Amino acid sequence: MRTTLLERPNPCATVSNRPAPRGGLRKLFTCFANLLLIQLGASFAGVSADAQTPVRELLQPLGFKIAYESYVDGKSDIFVMNSDGSNPVKLTQTPAEQEHYPQVSPDGTKISYVSDVGEGRDTVRSVYLMDIDGKNRKKIADHAREPFWSPDGKVLGFLPQEFAKFDVIDFATKGMSFYDMATGQILPQVNSTNLHHLYNPSWSATGKWIVATVHAGMGFDHAILLIEARGTNIVDLKIHGCRPCFSPDAKQVAWGAGDHELAAAPINLEADRPAVGQWSVRIEDETNKIYHIEWSPDGQFLAFSRGPDGKGDPTKPGTHQAAAEVHGVYAKGWNIGVVKTDRAAHLDLNQATEADLFMLTTNGLSNKEPAWFRPRR
Amino acid sequence: MTILRLLALAAVAGVLTACDKSGSNAQNERKPADAAPDAKGIDAGPVPITTKSGVEMVYLPGGEFTMGTDRGDADEAPAHKVRLSAFAMDMFEVTHEKFAKAQLPNPSHWQDNPQEPVERVRWRDAKRYCNERSLIEGLKPCYDEKTADWDCDYSANGYRLPTEAEWEYACRAGTEGPYDFGRADKLRQYAWMADNSDQKTHPAGQKKPNGFGICDLYGNVSEWCEDVYSPTYYKESPPVDPHGPPNPGKDVKRVIRGGSWKSSPERCQATARLGERTGDTDACFSTDFCGFRCVRRVTPAELQPLRGPSGKT
Repeated sequence: MRTTLLERPNPCATVSNRPAPRGGLRKLFTCFANLLLIQLGASFAGVSADAQTPVRELLQPLGFKIAYESYVDGKSDIFVMNSDGSNPVKLTQTPAEQEHYPQVSPDGTKISYVSDVGEGRDTVRSVYLMDIDGKNRKKIADHAREPFWSPDGKVLGFLPQEFAKFDVIDFATKGMSFYDMATGQILPQVNSTNLHHLYNPSWSATGKWIVATVHAGMGFDHAILLIEARGTNIVDLKIHGCRPCFSPDAKQVAWGAGDHELAAAPINLEADRPAVGQWSVRIEDETNKIYHIEWSPDGQFLAFSRGPDGKGDPTKPGTHQAAAEVHGVYAKGWNIGVVKTDRAAHLDLNQATEADLFMLTTNGLSNKEPAWFRPRR
Repeated sequence: MTILRLLALAAVAGVLTACDKSGSNAQNERKPADAAPDAKGIDAGPVPITTKSGVEMVYLPGGEFTMGTDRGDADEAPAHKVRLSAFAMDMFEVTHEKFAKAQLPNPSHWQDNPQEPVERVRWRDAKRYCNERSLIEGLKPCYDEKTADWDCDYSANGYRLPTEAEWEYACRAGTEGPYDFGRADKLRQYAWMADNSDQKTHPAGQKKPNGFGICDLYGNVSEWCEDVYSPTYYKESPPVDPHGPPNPGKDVKRVIRGGSWKSSPERCQATARLGERTGDTDACFSTDFCGFRCVRRVTPAELQPLRGPSGKT
């Protein structure tokens, strides 16, 4: 752990240990100088304290919470913990279902997620909704996945499965649907018939754009796309990687730039052809895979999943075999970490200190897909 | 070997032109064979068949052949005798159209033409397709999807990936050279490769079939096999129905065989070997030259009803 300047000796004590200057004027000057030093020292200490304070200590007073998936006692469930990693609480209590991919509503009162029932290709994946305390669980759609919220929380989007038969790979989708929270009606997005093999959508705070990854669909090899929520425009952001996520103010986008690299960069969604600017965040981990980046409600922190390469574990009931980062795949050794965005301009997680990185979970029980929220008081 | 070669040539005479057609309907326009073997030739030469779900295959009787070469890369040596049981192999690489019938998300780079072969397919996705096709046809799936490697039951009658030995046996079609058709300068007639592919895949069956009536073995997409890849396997390979070395557990590669749209002529040779990571831990597997075709065990009793128009005696 790095030592913060706050823990260093008080600058006044240092001054007092110096030889006393002679004469009244000198005394006055010395006093003034000492006061100036104290002020400068305090000011310097204040700035440095912010830069050096462990991420955990910065998170504690904010009161945010994080929903996530974890595989405990033979099944996958949705959990909620404080954003300092304390007090994990299991929300889902269904013995025959595998629940994962939590997405919290913008007002922090509801969680949407997916539930898998059955085995192998007969698995039925459905989109569900429940209150933030796990009560009032309600099915929204069968053969559906990847739910995402409109910024006003009035619409829950999701991606229908491409085929009735199940495949765990996340891009197995065709179209896009919107569930109206008020009426319960499900309608296709206006350009739904042309949307194919999307995954990991995120809706901007401006409401106009949805950002998502496409793999082998819509004429794209692999790309991160802006999709007009209520229109037909599609913009290729021309950034390499997957699983994009807008910042709460919609001025930045974060994404997985590779198996071992996360990134964030400014984006101007007001432009006719929005484009991504210079990277503001670059997080690397040569040892582990890092995925599922997600902004905190104040945009000051980024949570993500981190763990070793793997392809699942056939001995784990209700799971599937594919890359460890895919939800529904048991990811041995995976945990959730948090960094502060302004300390992650170029951060190597293997060199990180407590001031750079805080691992919220450490049990390695397939902890993935963090979703921040500000609890309603 | 010479007799087998002659019988093979006779058996596939009618389908020799089958692959050499352009257009997306090439497979559907194929005329019935007019020189397939008679009943007693079933055990002697290749027989075109059509499966319950309408997939065209070629039945290959069991036999012995020389696998590998002492004149190629180190991993192709030593040349050694291998005896194989009878099996049937897909006449064409698995296309987008066929892949969709298994309700599998298609990861391919080029999807404009449903008759083109799938690519960017993970080894496990290829095996999943095999199991699905088995279920569609009421056959027993070969792969146990609850095991880490999806272990293969070779006694099951369902579809599976070919072993490396089966692939080479089918490709060499009773010959011993690098190409069953002879001179290397004829390769363009048999394969889509780097020289003639325009750097993309092409509809299955547009080039000439090999001597057993099987198309695109030399090119278009390289093909997954069942075996673990080991460069030294030929030194220890069993002489009968080899299935490849055991899984070493770490840094596993599986065999892919045959050239592709991006291959050099040397890479297209019948004996050329390559090991490729299976893509299991890669959510976005991007090896865009990697496809596959299926094989299955077929007994003579099963063969007769499968002999459709092109296999009619």
